[in-house]
Amino acid sequence: MAASPLNPAAASPNRQKSNGKLKALTVQPKQSEVRSDDEGDSNDDAPVNLAEKLNNEEKRKYVKGKKLGEGTYAIVYKGHLRTDPTQLFAIKKIKLNAEYKDGLSMDAIREVKFLQELSHPNIIPLHSVFSTRDQNLNLVLEFLPLGDLEVLIRDPDVNYSIADIKAWVGMLTRAVWFCHANGVLHRDIKPNNLLIAADGEVKLADFGLARAFADPQQNMTYNVITRWYRPPELFFKARHYSGAVDMWSVGTVFAELILRMPFMAGNTDIHQLELICQAIGTPLEDNWPGVSELEGYLPFDKDKITPVRTRADYMSTFPTIGSVGVELLMSMLVLDPQKRATAKEVLEHRWWAEQPRPTEKERLPRKAGGEQRMGEDLKRRGGEVEEDGRRGDKVAKKLDFSSLR
Amino acid sequence: MAANYWESSQRKYWTFSKKGLADVRRAQESEPANKQLIATYPLPERRLLNIYFHLQLAKLAKRMSVRQQALATAQVYMRRYYTKVEIRTTNPYLVLATSLYLACKMEECPQHIRIVVGEARQLWPELISSDTSKLGECEFNLISTMNSQLIVHHPYRSFIDLQTTFSLVQEEVSLAWSAINDHFLTDLPLLHPPHVVAITAVLLAVVLKPTQGNLQSHAQSLQTAMSTIAVPPSNTAPTTAQARIQKLITWLAESSVSIEAVVDCVQELISLYDVWESFNEKQCKEQITRFVKALALDK
Repeated sequence: MAASPLNPAAASPNRQKSNGKLKALTVQPKQSEVRSDDEGDSNDDAPVNLAEKLNNEEKRKYVKGKKLGEGTYAIVYKGHLRTDPTQLFAIKKIKLNAEYKDGLSMDAIREVKFLQELSHPNIIPLHSVFSTRDQNLNLVLEFLPLGDLEVLIRDPDVNYSIADIKAWVGMLTRAVWFCHANGVLHRDIKPNNLLIAADGEVKLADFGLARAFADPQQNMTYNVITRWYRPPELFFKARHYSGAVDMWSVGTVFAELILRMPFMAGNTDIHQLELICQAIGTPLEDNWPGVSELEGYLPFDKDKITPVRTRADYMSTFPTIGSVGVELLMSMLVLDPQKRATAKEVLEHRWWAEQPRPTEKERLPRKAGGEQRMGEDLKRRGGEVEEDGRRGDKVAKKLDFSSLR
Repeated sequence: MAANYWESSQRKYWTFSKKGLADVRRAQESEPANKQLIATYPLPERRLLNIYFHLQLAKLAKRMSVRQQALATAQVYMRRYYTKVEIRTTNPYLVLATSLYLACKMEECPQHIRIVVGEARQLWPELISSDTSKLGECEFNLISTMNSQLIVHHPYRSFIDLQTTFSLVQEEVSLAWSAINDHFLTDLPLLHPPHVVAITAVLLAVVLKPTQGNLQSHAQSLQTAMSTIAVPPSNTAPTTAQARIQKLITWLAESSVSIEAVVDCVQELISLYDVWESFNEKQCKEQITRFVKALALDK
């Protein structure tokens, strides 16, 4: 424990590090109250500092129950309030790599960083953070027992309608709008990151790849977003991009909800790009000015060029959503990110006002047994493959310091 | 920076009133365990220590070519951390290196832990361990102590907007920029929202004529500037400078920015420059080394 920046003399009581949303510490009136209590009853004790004490209180509020899932990055437990066992939570315990050799992973940092600040009905709420004896960070998240959108898409026994799709895509888009309005890119939108709350509300989860919009001159990595949902500009190694990357993902999730199978399921990056060319059109200077200047752009063979798909093409692929719905879908799947619809534009589209109206969240189709599923979803790192390798491909997990600059 | 300042953890949990901040510190100092440490190991006053830490951080950041934004975040982390933890129970060099390491991750310009430890060892070979797990552990501690509230909003973004509003010239921009950088040496990041600091920087840049020297040399003329702000210029034909000050004051009056807060920021900066005169790097270094060594905090 001499390694601790805290006084070694205080080492053993200090083993339990402080954490939790210690509001009392920074709200002044409460502050002094807590403080005096503290002094009152810990006179002869070894110095357990206030932050630590509050962390322990925070920790004691929750009871960890059964394990819902375990991955390389986190273990997810079901938990409840000590004082009220009906109040359920998912507790995501982030594994530290052995003896802190490499510090806390970027995923964990990003997740905590953004969930602490973003509060919206369609974003998974972070209720608390505390640390435990073995010095792990524990994130107390809302318990979302109804699985995720992927489960519903895949399950042949679940039937859903256009009105249901409208409700889900609406909730997803509101979440994305909120992220973008707050200057945050999610960079890993896909059906199994869209969890479903007990009341049917869709919650965007997994902020392990999220980041703030870069300053104009700052580069970003193009190795983000799970392949099937990744927009063409990232395959061309764009280092400056915007919320449009997430909007492409929203478009592909929308298409997947309609088709009930992934819209473009490439096996490799090259294959994915081929599928994009076939399904959407070949990216060329005339449909996307400037595309040929991107680092990863390679000219296409003249005889292999597919013109950008027309509304009639989409109507034949997605007949059920009608022409207005197709118009909206097409606006999100525009090759040129500059011309792609923003989250705000999507929300203002006339499709939402058209019949059928979106289903109320309480009446959306659901499927029991999602607990385990939540465990599976939360234990994953951003972009990580499922064990059976069904879901697209992973994105860069190793920190690539040069590309992150 | 990401997210909305008005809904941020910074505004909710990390912005203090002056009295609030003083109370927090007094409470920390009066803890029985700390009392004795404080008596045994005297340290220079807080602002002088801050100057010292700033210089050390800047050296480390320079070696790794870290962006200014990350350096700023690291300074705020240190300031926040030491509102909760008595400095004499820590190895400040480890906290400093860790703050920078974490800030780099937060600002999306990560540095490898081994690089950070290696560079820190170059700067302070006697005072920091080569074991990277010490830094990793300290990172965890830092995050815990800051309640995992890691996003810091800086004045730079607001300043870039204001720069256009008041069409600042190059000298004014760099003067304002250094005022913003200097405010990280004070308690201002814990006391005022970033846009108030940004407007203060603009005010200083416009009021002072950035012709000779840096801000520091202007400490005296600032007093005059203050009275200019307090009493808007009379109707006598205004000079160009006065006209700009007038524009600024009108803008301030029409905005909802608290004038009192701006005045407070100006005063805080002036007193920083004042106190800077008595800064003695060697003395700071010796006093820190003394408790770090005596309490074996470097191990």
